Amino acid sequence: MIIDRKDLIDTISSFKKKGFSYLVKILGIDYIDYISVLYILRNLDSDEEIEIEVHLNQNDLWVPTIINIFKGADWYERELYEMFGIEIKGRKVRKLLLEKFSENIYPLRKSFKWGTK
Amino acid sequence: MSLVKINIGPVHPSTHGLLRLVVTLDGDTIVNVEPHVGFLHRGVEKLAENRMYMQIPPFIEKCDYVAKTAMDEAYVATVEAAMGIEPNERAQYERVILLELQRIASHLLWLGAMLNDLGHFFSVFMWTFADRDKVLKLLEEATGQRMFYVNMRLGGLRQEFPKDFEYHVLDVLAYLEKRINEYESFIENSSLFKERMYKVGVLSRDDAINLGVSGPVLRASGVNFDVRKDKPYYVYKKLNFKPIVLYNGDNFSRYKVRILEIKESIRLIREAFKQMPDGNATGMPIKLINPAPKNKVVRVSREGPRGEIMFYLVADEQRPYRLAMRTPAFINLAALNHIAKGNKFANLFPIIGSLDLVMADVDK
Repeated sequence: MIIDRKDLIDTISSFKKKGFSYLVKILGIDYIDYISVLYILRNLDSDEEIEIEVHLNQNDLWVPTIINIFKGADWYERELYEMFGIEIKGRKVRKLLLEKFSENIYPLRKSFKWGTK
Repeated sequence: MSLVKINIGPVHPSTHGLLRLVVTLDGDTIVNVEPHVGFLHRGVEKLAENRMYMQIPPFIEKCDYVAKTAMDEAYVATVEAAMGIEPNERAQYERVILLELQRIASHLLWLGAMLNDLGHFFSVFMWTFADRDKVLKLLEEATGQRMFYVNMRLGGLRQEFPKDFEYHVLDVLAYLEKRINEYESFIENSSLFKERMYKVGVLSRDDAINLGVSGPVLRASGVNFDVRKDKPYYVYKKLNFKPIVLYNGDNFSRYKVRILEIKESIRLIREAFKQMPDGNATGMPIKLINPAPKNKVVRVSREGPRGEIMFYLVADEQRPYRLAMRTPAFINLAALNHIAKGNKFANLFPIIGSLDLVMADVDK
């Protein structure tokens, strides 16, 4: 399901209350026109899964943090910030994988070509 | 008392690869552990966007160099899902047998390495290493390679099992069964082992779910979730598979889950050989692959030895548009700080050992 960014926290916490208590993965996809951020949640009792998708305009890249709902979101959010340059509002994010070697480089954006620096 | 910061690694015998930890201590008690990762970062996800579908398995395997087949199979299954190919029944059985053999090999290596981390058991490492080698010999017999198999093809395997393979496997399984019982009986009676394992590094059920850990770490905390059971793939439904769940969430539970999983895998392989139908399990040659449907999105989960492996693929015709991976050790390591807090410093490495980390898997 595609939702608006401002509803993200409410939607995720309401799904958590419904039993979707396990965060499988947060991932980003660069579709060039926009960047899509996906939150995959799972209900461990019924084994249902749900994908919550947010579309971000390329000039306005930020999402609110969900670390208060899922502690496991920590490293996924750091990865998202590092690989796509998506700002995580509500917490201070440090780079995870490339640390200080990657100023202004967002490797998983389509504008970053393989083999360049 | 004032807090002391200690730096461990990145090169350290007990970190199982390049992992740097900055540990804050209050006396001998851990206040905070901050893992610094990325020393092995190769940009696999980006690299995958620049390679054709079947050029990818050779380097995706190296994301988990202890359980190669698990990664390889998960990736190939994702491409199969995108292209709408289903392997025939024999191929499914053969894949399950390879996956379970790989799980045994991975857990055996973990067992030795973990006991080595306790500081007293280097001989066990030698023994389990030798036992693991017997399993690797079998995998070599089946695939032609000892370490990196690249054995999965769309719709099957690169080659059929050789003649007499079944008997060789059954021989080794009988031997392993005996050995595992031996290991269990003498390891668990050691007082040094008990001190470092019982009630150390406890992860409660709610925290395990909230932190998103997977695999044996999740099941040791009492969560009954195993992809093989809850989202069954291949022939696991027919194999009467039971997930191993324990409830204490400490180091010992994580150890015991893996030991019991080895036994369960042995049983599964025997059952799979009994049920396996005749036929041909050979998959498509790499040159004959049709283009994938454009913009098709698939998500495939697999239970690897370390936890849940998930691939999210947005397909393009010749190569992935985006290949996102959920690698199990990545998120299990993220939970380290939470598990280790409040424990003694000497117990840090047993806790890391019990998480079964592979750094190539964390760093991608």
